[in-house]
Amino acid sequence: MILHIDMDAFFASIEQAINPRLKGKPLIVGSRNNKLHTVICAASYEAKRLGIGSGMSSREAFQICPNLEFVCAEQGKYIWTSEQIFEMLKSYGLPLSYASIDEFQMDIAAHPEPLKLAEDIRKRIYANFNITASVGIAKNWLLAKTASKINKPNGVTLINDDNLRGILGRTPLEKVCGMGGKTGALLSSRGFKTALDLYLKMPAFFQDYPGKFSEEPEKPKSIGHSYTLPRALENPLVIRAWIRLLSEMVGERLRHKNLAAKTVHLWLNGPEIGNFGAQKTSSLATNDSFELYSRSFKIACLIPLNRPKIRALGVTASQLIPQESLSLFIEQKRREGLITTLDRINSRFGDGSIYPAQVDLTRSIK
Amino acid sequence: MKQQSFSPKARWDRHIPEDSNAAIPELLNEKIECLVLFKAAKIQPQMFTWRNRDYEIKTINYNWQERRGQEIVHYFSVSTGSDSYQISFNNTSLRWQVDRIFT
Repeated sequence: MILHIDMDAFFASIEQAINPRLKGKPLIVGSRNNKLHTVICAASYEAKRLGIGSGMSSREAFQICPNLEFVCAEQGKYIWTSEQIFEMLKSYGLPLSYASIDEFQMDIAAHPEPLKLAEDIRKRIYANFNITASVGIAKNWLLAKTASKINKPNGVTLINDDNLRGILGRTPLEKVCGMGGKTGALLSSRGFKTALDLYLKMPAFFQDYPGKFSEEPEKPKSIGHSYTLPRALENPLVIRAWIRLLSEMVGERLRHKNLAAKTVHLWLNGPEIGNFGAQKTSSLATNDSFELYSRSFKIACLIPLNRPKIRALGVTASQLIPQESLSLFIEQKRREGLITTLDRINSRFGDGSIYPAQVDLTRSIK
Repeated sequence: MKQQSFSPKARWDRHIPEDSNAAIPELLNEKIECLVLFKAAKIQPQMFTWRNRDYEIKTINYNWQERRGQEIVHYFSVSTGSDSYQISFNNTSLRWQVDRIFT
């Protein structure tokens, strides 16, 4: 049996716990510090009742509710809270893993009273953090995750063989993880209406998600970073600076994991080019941020337009292999020494403490 | 067990340009003197003095930590009865400051 914990309106709940004046009010947490020009990454339940939800533009949300409260997302507090909840859950001594920043899964196969455990977990979370969680319990992760969304907020749902058909029959298809987008729309057009339809007609979909409790750290298949700019830019120097910044971030994470990448993928989005993406594979794997940038820039040069406007961009490294530390040439050794030193400075004083001067252009959005 | 599903955003977010329509409440970052209780392995601020005025802390609403390189900054949301503040303590500089007033 899997117990799946899903925090209720996680970011918004934390902000309401931090600022008691926001409690009971419709609140949105914006991904960017501009209340009229950002995307909502979390909405309080008071805002959700008005039809406001994550992914919506803030402008649209304020049209629905002009008195909406707004807070800019600050990831540090959400990550810290998530880590503390995880540490608290470890005290139960059961196999445990993250499903996301605000979701956790526990293997409770050996536990005699799953509902009592679920209640205890919810009470402890509320007592320690003043925020609520909803819990789902079922025989596999996907069913448990689906169950956790049924009695939100602050609820517990157990799906067993006796009530499975009843509960899944009342659960719309889009409530199942992975069914909210195009896949769900496609299945819906073919007559799948509820989670029960999916369970009966595609049982393998549920069986392929037993839960992730491997003791071995998962090796990533790719590492990437992307960013949506406040507005479309056409200054090529600034766009190159953003590609450089994203390459620095990707390179840092590769080096941290002792990995190197053979393939670099660059993705650009803009009003004139739509979605442009291409990749370059080299026989020589690298985790040197400048080399990642150079390869990305060569991809960017493939765009046929001169000075296209860019609104969003991303750099991803894939075909990852363990880093090989054999440097034959003096220049190569010096370069590796420089990179190691820069990483140590950023590790000591915080990421972004020292960075290539070119990256400074990202501060300019003109 | 280290988290696997996501990676904390690096402080590269410092590079995000300032926006003239910024809605974030102004950060004060003013030094304060703080009376603190260290109890049960927790930091519990009791009162602070800011701009020559004493503020007794009635409630600690929330606390969290952030790491900046080797520094750890402890943040507290506190209420004095009439108002709520965010104060913080840097474990390297040993500085207490008031970050913002919650409105």
